[in-house]
Amino acid sequence: MNDIQPIPDTFTHEKPRDPHWYKRAVFYEVLVRGFYDSNGDGTGDLRGLIEKLDYLQWLDIDCLWLLPLYESPLRDGGYDIADFMKVLPEFGTIGDFVELVDQAHERGMRVIADLVMNHTSDQHPWFHASREDPDGPYGDFYVWSDDTDRYQDARIIFVDTEQSNWTYDEVRGQYYWHRFFSHQPDLNYENPKVQEAMLEVLRFWLDLGIDGFRMDAIPYLYEREGTNCENLKETHEFLKRVRAEVDRLYPDRVLLAEANQWPTDVVEYFGDPETGGNECHMAFHFPLMPRIFMAVRREQRYPISEILAQTPDIPKNCQWGIFLRNHDELTLEMVTDEERDYMYSEYAKDPRMKANIGIRRRLAPLLDNDRDQLELFTAMLLSLPGSPVLYYGDEIGMGDNIWLGDRDAVRTPMQWSPDRNAGFSKVDPARLYLPAIMDPIYGFQALNVEAEMNDSGSFLNWTRKMIQIRKGHPVFGLGTYQELHASNPSVLAFVREYGDDRILCVNNLSRFPQPVELDLRRFQDVTPIETMGGVSFPAIGELPYLLTLPGHGFYWFQLPPVEQES
Amino acid sequence: MTLQELLADWLPDQRWFAGKGRAIDEVIVESDTELRSGEPALRHLIIAVRQGGTIERYQVLLGCRSGLPDKLKHAEIGWVANGDGCAYDAAHDPALTTAILDGIAADAHIGDLTFHHVPGAVITSGLHSLVIGAEQSNTSLVFGEAYVCKLFRRLAPGPNPDLELNVALAREGSGHIAAPYGWIQGTVDGEPTTLAVLSRYLRTATDGWTLAATSVRDLYAQEGVRAADAGGDFAGEAGRLGRATAEVHRDLANALGTVDLPVDGVREMADGMRERLKEAVNEVAELGAYAEPIDAAYDALSQVDAPLTAQRVHGDFHLGQVVRTDQRWVILDFEGEPARPLAERRAPTTPLRDIAGMLRSFEYAARYQLVGRPDEADLEPRAADWAKRNREAFCAGYAYGGGLNPYDHQVVLRALEYDKAVYEVMYEARNRPTWLQIPLNSLSKLQ
Repeated sequence: MNDIQPIPDTFTHEKPRDPHWYKRAVFYEVLVRGFYDSNGDGTGDLRGLIEKLDYLQWLDIDCLWLLPLYESPLRDGGYDIADFMKVLPEFGTIGDFVELVDQAHERGMRVIADLVMNHTSDQHPWFHASREDPDGPYGDFYVWSDDTDRYQDARIIFVDTEQSNWTYDEVRGQYYWHRFFSHQPDLNYENPKVQEAMLEVLRFWLDLGIDGFRMDAIPYLYEREGTNCENLKETHEFLKRVRAEVDRLYPDRVLLAEANQWPTDVVEYFGDPETGGNECHMAFHFPLMPRIFMAVRREQRYPISEILAQTPDIPKNCQWGIFLRNHDELTLEMVTDEERDYMYSEYAKDPRMKANIGIRRRLAPLLDNDRDQLELFTAMLLSLPGSPVLYYGDEIGMGDNIWLGDRDAVRTPMQWSPDRNAGFSKVDPARLYLPAIMDPIYGFQALNVEAEMNDSGSFLNWTRKMIQIRKGHPVFGLGTYQELHASNPSVLAFVREYGDDRILCVNNLSRFPQPVELDLRRFQDVTPIETMGGVSFPAIGELPYLLTLPGHGFYWFQLPPVEQES
Repeated sequence: MTLQELLADWLPDQRWFAGKGRAIDEVIVESDTELRSGEPALRHLIIAVRQGGTIERYQVLLGCRSGLPDKLKHAEIGWVANGDGCAYDAAHDPALTTAILDGIAADAHIGDLTFHHVPGAVITSGLHSLVIGAEQSNTSLVFGEAYVCKLFRRLAPGPNPDLELNVALAREGSGHIAAPYGWIQGTVDGEPTTLAVLSRYLRTATDGWTLAATSVRDLYAQEGVRAADAGGDFAGEAGRLGRATAEVHRDLANALGTVDLPVDGVREMADGMRERLKEAVNEVAELGAYAEPIDAAYDALSQVDAPLTAQRVHGDFHLGQVVRTDQRWVILDFEGEPARPLAERRAPTTPLRDIAGMLRSFEYAARYQLVGRPDEADLEPRAADWAKRNREAFCAGYAYGGGLNPYDHQVVLRALEYDKAVYEVMYEARNRPTWLQIPLNSLSKLQ
């Protein structure tokens, strides 16, 4: 692997570097295993993903987010890393990865990948060395203890499978600390050598050209007695160190925090607002997503209004990542018990759909495959404050397979065409990593990329058009957000503003047609232009602005500056 | 024509004018204060309108211009004979309403009018105003997106209970009110009287009635679904509203004290209820079917042997008096029942009265969309289901919020609720016969 060179900086030629590109980007979460199989072994791979980059460029995606692609025993979907510097052989090689980044950059797209900082697999050589030789160089790489008395205030996250955060290791004769599965020992960040080793891992991938990391499970890096061992100041200090290293050597890369916390706590992961943010560039806004589902179900805006009103301002160079679905369950950790019961009863009538404290469904089945709702949800994802993250397959309205175990229900092969295995692989169908969906509604014979690309009225083409509109208006990524007074509680109306780029979004959360009167006095004399069709609407006057919306309908209006009469 | 004559022509077209349909015998200008001179000029008038034996007083902001621009044409009162120019309703003229903000910000003293700001409130003047909505007895002006000024049109001499209670609640730090910022005071019929109140404008608020209607509409759109399983379930909101109500009652008691309502007083209350029931049964025969259980409830009230705790309350509490903001429920209009004399509106009473009011409101919200539907009778059990669920959630929220537990005071609460229902039956029979079935259906479930 000595011939591997850092890839050249392709963004300097046609596309000037923009250190804040992530604030305007549309992200696309790819499951490498499920996207495209280039070598016919039944499992998607990096070369396969390279072959499909043209599709993602056509869709106008800015950045791919890859799930873990490291060497792993795969007992937790690759989040159990056995070697940080190697690619999982079934996905390809380091060379394939470099090729992927290179090809993506040539198409103006970026690539970020998951990285687990908190723990490793118990198969990682560091752990082997640590358990076998307590006094050796890796002896202190993990958190060991003679008993299980320490850190009793830390909750157990995987309550379904784990009884304790401590597990006894026969080899070393001590207990080791783990916040997740017992086969995932936590790294000991008290040890400066662990910090150095992890910085080395980051530099390795950044040197290969990767555009950033989505940092998994970061609230848990440090432990302190008498605390819940989450969000500790030591963890923040280490993240500042990571950020300083990235800024020093790789100025336009992005760190995306996965901290499944309430927004007021998550903002801590952006760091000091005085500096514009000196920890992570981005963080996921977790509670927004279930609130969107709840608001539409309740047919009133307050679930969304409330959570956005509780969302603090973030440092100026930071951005939220927002999503409707991702590879994990609909995350319910952060909703109140009442809301969780409600989400369960509404979206998971079948108990099989529950896993841990979440729900495993794709967007389309969650919305009963209702096109109006699919469009409304997607429109909100693309217009609420934050950078949207699409989950692979949701752009064609793919279904799920609830009969598959664990989280696999939403990880079935991407449906490219009506051909064998949905065009995903040429392998014998029995050897696929998971069966392609074949039910009468969501099966690949009818529902696939090829068919939808050829159908101008398809959800895929509609989604692409919406992404293009979004990209024509930097305000969606950079603008302020202000909810408007709407006379009708079923209507969520807000204005995004960035200088002269102003967009008014009006969403009908009800299944019934609704009228709404909006207080738009601030924009008096402006002529709103509907962005899908370019139709001018009546100019805004002093009186409330009346609109009617079909059930689950929405509008995006551009509010151009009023031309001054000379 | 004289100004008085012009006003006499203009008044009957104003929504807030209470004497519609009766001839105006005389308009007397009782006070006339110039707030701004020049072009345009602003005068503050308190006028007395005599119609037969009654005199009602009204407040008018009078604008005067030498010519009226198109956008003010709708507010025209007329050309005054003495050459003052064209008179119009200045509430619609943002160039003049700034005088209200300026006056309140500066604690101005102009003629008989005094402007006041609530200590600590900082008023940004210079905001553009807009008249919103059409109300029975007020005109509301929104300044920018910051303030709303409620201009009382029909004036009752004396302090305004809404301002009084809002100021008291603000002092207690209540989060469930629209913060008061200031007011204007003048003299009406020799008494110091609140003329206008300036408070925080709740930009994103929706009233509870509309929100409950959204839930009910959702329920009826789906066959066979129980209220608890419906997507538009309102119980979470009803519970939070109960909690907010309890907190406001607690703050009112802390701020303005409590008194005992003696056993005799409770008995008098029951007697009054019995009389109203008698009158209503005579008038509306259908009510007779429920007279027995209602009477029994009043008897139970007469036998209450311990005094009730009384305090200042809202007095006219229903879903239309509460708004949901993007943070919480806010309670508006602490005026008391508008038809009652001021002294009665300000008298301490049991907070259960407000709870009873809200419970009645749930009964109405559940049923009003069924009026005139051919399947009204089939849907009645579902209406009852919705009402029951939200009543329970509201009461549970109220108890959780630290108020007295409504379930421990069933005797009093039941009697108060029946009394309101009896009033509703009379009101609907007289004014809105198609809605009569709402209180009657509700009564059939209350037993």
